[in-house]
Amino acid sequence: MSATTTTQPISAAQVRTLASVLDEIVPPSDDARFPGAGALGLAAYVEQTMAHTPDLHQMTMQGLAALDRLVQAKGAESFTALCRADRLAMLHALTTTEPAFLPTLTFHTYVGYYQHERVLEALHLDPRPPYPKGFEMPPSDLTTLLAPVRRRAER
Amino acid sequence: MADAPVDVLIIGAGASGAALAWSLADTRMNILCLEQGDWMDPEKYPAAGRDWEIRGFGDFSVSPNTRGRPEDYPVNDSDSPIAASMFNAVGGSTILYAAHFPRFRPSDFKVKTLDGIADDWPLDYERLAPYYDENARMMGVAGLAGDPAYPPKALPLPPVPLGKLGETLAGGFNKLGWHWWPSDSAIATQDYEGRAACINAGPCLTGCAQGAKASTDITYWPVAIRRGVTLKTRCRVREITVGPDGLADGVVYYDADGAERKQRAEVVVLACNGIGTPRLLLNSRSKRFPEGLANRSGMVGQNLMFHPYAMVTGLFEDRLEGYKGPMGCCLMSQEFYETDRTRGFVRGYSIETLRGLPPVSTALWGMTQGRIPWGAEHRRAYDAIFDRTAGMVIICEDLPEGHNRVTLDPELVDTDGIPAPKVTYRLSENSTRMLAHAVARGKEVLEAAGATETFAEAPLPIAGWHLMGTARMGTDPATSVVNEWGRAHDVKNLFIIDGSIFVTAAGVNPTNTIQALALYIGDMIKKNLANLFD
Repeated sequence: MSATTTTQPISAAQVRTLASVLDEIVPPSDDARFPGAGALGLAAYVEQTMAHTPDLHQMTMQGLAALDRLVQAKGAESFTALCRADRLAMLHALTTTEPAFLPTLTFHTYVGYYQHERVLEALHLDPRPPYPKGFEMPPSDLTTLLAPVRRRAER
Repeated sequence: MADAPVDVLIIGAGASGAALAWSLADTRMNILCLEQGDWMDPEKYPAAGRDWEIRGFGDFSVSPNTRGRPEDYPVNDSDSPIAASMFNAVGGSTILYAAHFPRFRPSDFKVKTLDGIADDWPLDYERLAPYYDENARMMGVAGLAGDPAYPPKALPLPPVPLGKLGETLAGGFNKLGWHWWPSDSAIATQDYEGRAACINAGPCLTGCAQGAKASTDITYWPVAIRRGVTLKTRCRVREITVGPDGLADGVVYYDADGAERKQRAEVVVLACNGIGTPRLLLNSRSKRFPEGLANRSGMVGQNLMFHPYAMVTGLFEDRLEGYKGPMGCCLMSQEFYETDRTRGFVRGYSIETLRGLPPVSTALWGMTQGRIPWGAEHRRAYDAIFDRTAGMVIICEDLPEGHNRVTLDPELVDTDGIPAPKVTYRLSENSTRMLAHAVARGKEVLEAAGATETFAEAPLPIAGWHLMGTARMGTDPATSVVNEWGRAHDVKNLFIIDGSIFVTAAGVNPTNTIQALALYIGDMIKKNLANLFD
């Protein structure tokens, strides 16, 4: 395991690798309605989160370094250049050598992905926070719904 | 540095401190409240941002240990299966609470008489009923009259909407012939007393940006301050001091600049919650009270009661629009509330249905449940769950036990160096059996409503929202800390008005009862002003 520090900046090549990893964590949907997390630009979100989360920074840098070593051992140009099967094989290999990498990255990917406007639209939601518009909710027919409860109480 | 003396000093500006301040304001006494937190700015609540969900795990977490705001004090809850939750600000934990607002039932005040367990309260439902009514008016409680589980009660506003999710679950209760009723909620369902109506946005648990939820910073406090009560924020009390006559003579506190100050007072009122209050009493040691102030009985800190919670979630085939509506308020069932010894435990529980999981929470819940993996299966798994979950929390009555307690941690301190509280808690056999029963019934009703799968977690580790019993009331000074109107047996100008004084926990959210008690104690103080210390 390489020694990394929380101050080590992420390189452009590592950002490209990170984006590819994110696309494996949340791939695009078959109908293209949902984008992949990498294609959505979430590498920037993760990078931003890393800046104020030292543990995430260290774990991500270690994970990316480990991936890079696997890529080099295979003689490949980059993680991004690998075929999908090879990329998945490498990520699964990391679950042993860097056990915190994928769960932590998955957590932050989910957080960034499912608050993104494009994803909210794909979920058939208004692409906005809940406030200030809120949601319309029609009143229920409580008289009918509660009739069994009232009947039981009267017995 | 000493401040000018006041007549009444209230420590804590949360649910109970606000209610008492308002109650006493009409006496025209010189009343001061010291609050370690600050005023919250609703415009900065998370609901207006895309990251609103995740902030509930960070700066708006219910856990002071996770939140770590400067005004928070740490709680060592490593020796408890349930973690303590609270918020420190004007409004206290009402800033983050769900505003589910049931009353105790009449039976809750006499469990020893009815079931031969714990103790009866030294007062009853009828005594508190007018104060519940007054609190309903001040907080603005929404609900539907006629619930057969309760005596008639005041509900100034119509109930929160059930929505598609609530109607679906109500169908399950009806199918089984079980009791349910729209929740009593401290939420303005219409414009009320200057508060805007609820817009069903959902994220009540990270503060109500709309101002519809009744946190006391927008209900009691504005009125109390207009009537002359002084509220000082970012003032953390270190200890209550005692004069040569054995009465409390004031407090030592740290102000917003960290300067140590002395505040003298004729009457001192503790309103710091079921952990903060025993912490402060135990930190107030003197020659006269070597084991902590008002602790000659040794009961300060003992009998800590949480409500052990079960969370049961169902997965449905259809979308339920569960992201709409107040997150913690929908409907409540008390089908299993009273003792039935054939169930294998005494007392019972309330079932409170929640709304569904919003987008980020769905993904994180699915991740922790092993239901939503990363990779090729992610899309199918997520889409099978999002907006198809409906959940419930089940609130089990906890019983007072001496070994469940709050003490002072020997090492942990807050940012002012004041010893922090340590929680020691064990789930009782009674609670364990009750939780098992509750989970089974929760699954049963979800399946009756159409759930194709159910999931349960019990006890819910994060659910230490209700902090009760650590300075309990009673008529016997040997077994209780305060009398039947909140006055300390050992210190006749010291009052306690928060959940610490609960004798038993009931099986419902406690805030309404905490505030009704505070209003009752306020009335008793006013009625006894001439001979308050006799």
